[in-house]
Amino acid sequence: MEAIARLVSAEMTPAELKNNAAAASAGYAYGLAAIGPGIGIGYLVGKSVEAMARQPEAAGMVRTTMFLGIAFTEALALIGFVVFILLKFA
Amino acid sequence: MPTAIVTQSSGRIVHVRLVSSDTTDTTVAPEAVALAAESGTGAAETTAVVAAPNPIAPTPKEIFWSAGSFFVLLIVMRYYLFPKLKKGMDARYADIRSDIEGADSVKAAAQTDVAGYEKQLAAVRVEAAGRIDAARQTVDTERNAQLAQVNARIASARADADAQTAAARAAAQGQVAAAVAQVATKAATMASGRTPDASVVQAAVAAAMESAGSR
Amino acid sequence: MIALDFPEINSILVWKDLFPSFNKIALIAVLAAVISITIFLLAVRQDHKEAPKGIRNFAEVIVEFIEDGVVMQTMGKDGLAWTPFLMTMFLFIYLCNVPGIIPFFQMPATARMAVPLFLALMVWVIYNVTGIKHQGLLGYFKSTLFPPGVPKALYILVTPIEFISAIIVRPFSLAVRLFANMMAGHILLVTFALLSEALFQAKDKILIPVGILPFFMLVFLTSFEVLVAFLQAYIFAMLTAVYIGGATHPEH
Repeated sequence: MEAIARLVSAEMTPAELKNNAAAASAGYAYGLAAIGPGIGIGYLVGKSVEAMARQPEAAGMVRTTMFLGIAFTEALALIGFVVFILLKFA
Repeated sequence: MPTAIVTQSSGRIVHVRLVSSDTTDTTVAPEAVALAAESGTGAAETTAVVAAPNPIAPTPKEIFWSAGSFFVLLIVMRYYLFPKLKKGMDARYADIRSDIEGADSVKAAAQTDVAGYEKQLAAVRVEAAGRIDAARQTVDTERNAQLAQVNARIASARADADAQTAAARAAAQGQVAAAVAQVATKAATMASGRTPDASVVQAAVAAAMESAGSR
Repeated sequence: MIALDFPEINSILVWKDLFPSFNKIALIAVLAAVISITIFLLAVRQDHKEAPKGIRNFAEVIVEFIEDGVVMQTMGKDGLAWTPFLMTMFLFIYLCNVPGIIPFFQMPATARMAVPLFLALMVWVIYNVTGIKHQGLLGYFKSTLFPPGVPKALYILVTPIEFISAIIVRPFSLAVRLFANMMAGHILLVTFALLSEALFQAKDKILIPVGILPFFMLVFLTSFEVLVAFLQAYIFAMLTAVYIGGATHPEH
């Protein structure tokens, strides 16, 4: 990335350079932020389904807790998305 | 004094960039002016374009309106609508509960009635069963007596018949023995010329008949 | 080939004033309040003696959903006094979310930071005030910053984390969760709508049937947004209940 930046820097103003770097890193920011929560939510829902299958009478409680857990885990990915918007457009 | 560089495509603003005048790259400003002149907008208009607002920054007027409507909703809900609705719901649930309790008491009364009826039924059933048993016993004893009587009659008749048969057989055997003895005596007289001893003939005949009977 | 020029981000998020300082977001917020009040007014008007039907049934279903699905699951019987507040919050957020998929509105009010930020700050104030009221100033800070059952030496590590989580991260994540979910949904809908429009109007005739794919995606995402609108309102109310419940009853 740096090499490309140095290559094109001759024809670019510093502001444009900064814009390009921000656009590229915006993609990385969201992509990296989505990995962990993706694994986390998959694991969480899988375990919840396991628990519901094992004890169907506790399904309501498990579902409530599952939604809470998803909300907490998902927040990380959403912060990544906000960072993406900030880098790209702000 | 910052300069705004506006990139346009088919009349729509695609990209706006603010460049401060003390940028090291001095070639920007004339290029931007040229670009602005090319796209048909005046330089004065270009510089008048303000920087785009941050897309995720909260806007005061939106906070004001949403907070206002939320608090109005909250106050109306908390102090008028919700208590009224809840009171109606609770009243109805209390009605339903008292109805259920009334129904429960009626059900309990009905159940005691049913229990009494069943007790009576059981008593009647026990009595009926006793009567049936008694009747069955009398019938049984009568039948047994009659059976014994008939059996006795049959036994005596069989004994009579047996006795008659035995007597008839004895008579027949005696006649057969007498006839055989006569024939044997006659045959012995003709063969040997002297009359054999009657007791000897009788014993021989008896032995022969015995062996014939045993065969 | 086809080039899709995505509109400038503010043109799909920032709305012009309909009246001075009254834009679409304000209109949606006001409508949310008006619709909720209308539903409950009509419900209250009906005779409460007979079996509920129509709009009264609807309102009672909402009340019972909040009581059984949110309050009883998190705060227990003591929290039933919070039902009107949580129900107002749920209704308001839901009715602000849903315009994202209603034609002519096409914009969830919660996709602007203003609405979630205000709600999250209000929740933050409420749960802190409730905690201080129930446990006293010292008791509240002791139970939040020094959770019991932790070895004494670990407090050096635990206390700053608890402080950051309870005082800073909670309202921030509460606001960002709602805002980012709704904005992401909105941008996704815009993207697929633009893509299918561009494909349907492509100069290359061979591309026109391909436009059916993003169109199906658009339909699917719209129905997904129905779910998200409900789920985000539910989760916001739920987390509010959890925070308030945690402030009233420590180590629960």
